Amino acid sequence: MATTSPVPEETSIAERSTADLLVLVGAMPSEQFARALANLEVAFAPESVIIATSNDLPGEPRRLRMISTQQSSSGWALTPTDFVNAAQHGREHEARAILLLGPGADSLSPMALRGLADAVLKTSIDLAMPYYSLPPHAGLINSAILYPLTRAVFASRARFPLAIDLGLSPRMAEQLANVAQSISPANQTEALLWPINEAVAAGFTIDEVDVGPRAMPQPSDPDINSILSLITGSLFGDIEAKAALWQRPRRPSPTRHMTNEAVEPEGASDVARMVSAFQLAYANLQEIWSLVLPPNSLLLLKRCSVLDAASFRMPDNLWARVVYDFVIAYRLRTINRGHLLGALIPLYLAWVAGHINVTTSGIPAERHIEAVAAAFEADKPYLVARWRWPDRFNS
Amino acid sequence: MLHIIDNALQQADINMPASPGSFDNASIWHHMSEALHQSLDRVLTQLIAVLPGLLAFFVSLAIFSLAGLLLSWLSRQLLGWVKFDSRVTHTIKSDWAPSSSPSEIIARALFWGCVLLGLIIGVSAFDTSYATGAALPISLLPYLTHAVGAVLLLIAGILIARFLARSVLISAINAQLQYARILSLGVKWLVLVLTAAMVLDHLQVGGNIVELAFGILFGGIVLTLALAVGLGSRDLVSRSLESRVEHAGERTNIPDDATTASRTIRHF
Repeated sequence: MATTSPVPEETSIAERSTADLLVLVGAMPSEQFARALANLEVAFAPESVIIATSNDLPGEPRRLRMISTQQSSSGWALTPTDFVNAAQHGREHEARAILLLGPGADSLSPMALRGLADAVLKTSIDLAMPYYSLPPHAGLINSAILYPLTRAVFASRARFPLAIDLGLSPRMAEQLANVAQSISPANQTEALLWPINEAVAAGFTIDEVDVGPRAMPQPSDPDINSILSLITGSLFGDIEAKAALWQRPRRPSPTRHMTNEAVEPEGASDVARMVSAFQLAYANLQEIWSLVLPPNSLLLLKRCSVLDAASFRMPDNLWARVVYDFVIAYRLRTINRGHLLGALIPLYLAWVAGHINVTTSGIPAERHIEAVAAAFEADKPYLVARWRWPDRFNS
Repeated sequence: MLHIIDNALQQADINMPASPGSFDNASIWHHMSEALHQSLDRVLTQLIAVLPGLLAFFVSLAIFSLAGLLLSWLSRQLLGWVKFDSRVTHTIKSDWAPSSSPSEIIARALFWGCVLLGLIIGVSAFDTSYATGAALPISLLPYLTHAVGAVLLLIAGILIARFLARSVLISAINAQLQYARILSLGVKWLVLVLTAAMVLDHLQVGGNIVELAFGILFGGIVLTLALAVGLGSRDLVSRSLESRVEHAGERTNIPDDATTASRTIRHF
C-alpha cells in the first residue's frame, strides 16, 4: 500500500496488530481530522480500534493506533478506492467491523460513531447506514430521487442511500471491494458505489442508525447540472445492472421513524426562479420530453406549468411516473443519456419548488418526502411493466 | 423487339398505295429499318455486356449482407456472453453516451461494414464489366460513387446537427436563457448549411457558385445572430448575464452556520 504521509514508529506495531474495529477516515483538513480523532477517542476504547487514514498523522501522541493509507476521497463522497482500502485493512487487522467515515466526519458525535460501530459489532448487521438530521432544504436530490427510488426498487428504507459514513461487516466490505475493483483505475476517484443495492443483491442485513446532525461536504462543482447528472446517472446505471434482482417481488423493510419539525416560510425567491425555469423548459423541451414521457404525464406537466410560483405543486404520483419514465428511457437509450439527464433537471427543480411550497405551508418536510416515497412504491408495477414491455407507452 | 419493328415496317409497306415514288419510299423505309436495327443492336449489346456486372453487383451485395447479418449476430452473442457492455461502462467514463449499447454499436458496425464491402466489390465488378462492354465514355459510375458519398455526408450532417441542437437547447434551458430555442435553431441551421455546401461540393454541382453562396449564407447567419444578440436582445442578454453572475455569487457564498444553512437550498 502506498503511503504518502509520515508514519510514526508506533504504526509498524499497529500494522501487525489486530483490532475489533477498523476506522477508515477520509481525507479532510487537519483541524477537522483532529476533531474527528478526538471524537473517536471518546467513542472507543483505544485497544479495540485502529484508525486508517490518508491524512497527515498528528505529531502529538494519540491513544488510538493509527496507520497510513492510500489517498482516495473525492472530497464529497466515498470512492471505490475507499471500499478497497477498507476491505484490505480490515482483512489485515482481522477487524470484526469496519467504520468508513467520509469527509467532514468531525461533525458526527461520539455517540453516533459508537452507534454505527455497535450496529455491526453487537447486532450482527452487515451494513449500518446513518440517518442524518439535515436541514429541511438540504440533500434534496436524495429526497427527490435517491431515497424514494432506492426504497421502491430495492425495498430498503434507508433514508440516505448515498451516505458517506458506513458501518460494514467484513463480508460486506469484501463484497463492496469486489465491486469497486471491477471499476477501472481511471474512474476510481469519480465513480459512485451504492452500498444498499449491493447489500440487497448479496442478501445481507441492513440497518439504519440515527446519527444526528452532520455537515454534508459539497461536490467541488456545485452546479446542479453536473451533480444531478452524475448522481442520478450512476443510480440509473446501477438499477439497469441489477434489473434481474429488483423485478422479483420483495417485502419492504419496516417503516422508519420520522421527525415532524415545522419550517418557517423561506426560499420564496428560489421557488419563483425554479418555477420559471420549469416553465421555460416546458415551453422549449416538449420535443425531448415527448420522447421520454407518455402523453398523460405531459398533460399533467402542462397543468403544472400554468400554476404561479406561490401555488406551485408537483403531484407525488406524477413525479414518481416522471422518474420511472426517465429510468426506462435511460435503459432504452431513447435519447443520448447526457441529454436525457439534462432534460430531467428542470423537472427536478419543479419538484424542489413544489416541495418548498409544501413545507412552507406547514407540512413537515419528512412527511412530504415519505409521501413521495410511498407514491414511488405504489407505482413500482408501472416501472416493472414498462421495463419488461417498453412499447406499452401508456398505462 | 426487332421482329416487331420488322413486321410493323412491312405492314406499312403493304398498306402504302402504289405510286410513282414507291421505290423511293421503300428505300427510305429500308434505311430507317436498318438504322433502327443497328441502334437496337448497339443498345442491346451494351445491356448484355452490363448484365453480368449488374448481376455480380447484386450477388456480391446479397452475399456480404448475409455475411454481415451472421457476423453481427455472432458478435452480439459473444459480447453478451463476456458481458462486454457492463465492462465498457465500468471501464470507460465519458460524457459521450451513444443511444445504443456498445455491443449493439459493434454489431451494427460489423453489419454495415460488410454491406459497404459488398457494395464496393459489387461496384468494382460492375465497373469492370461496364468498362469492357461500354462503347461510350459515360461518366455515370464515378458520379454514382460521389452520390453515395454525398448521401453519407448528408446523413452525418443531419445527425450532428440534431445532436448539437439538442445539446445547445438543453444547456441553454438549464442556464435559463430565454433565447434557448433560437440559439439551438441557429446552431442546427449553421450545421445544416455547412452540410449542404459540403454535399454540393462533393457532387461537384455548382462549383464556385456554391462556395460563394455558402460563404454569404454562413456569414449572413452569423452576422444576423450577432446583430440579434447585440442589438435586439441587448437587455435580455444583460439580464441573463446579470442573473448568472448573481447565481454564481450565491453559490460561492455558501453559509457556514446552521441557521443560515437551514434556509439555503442544498441539492446534495
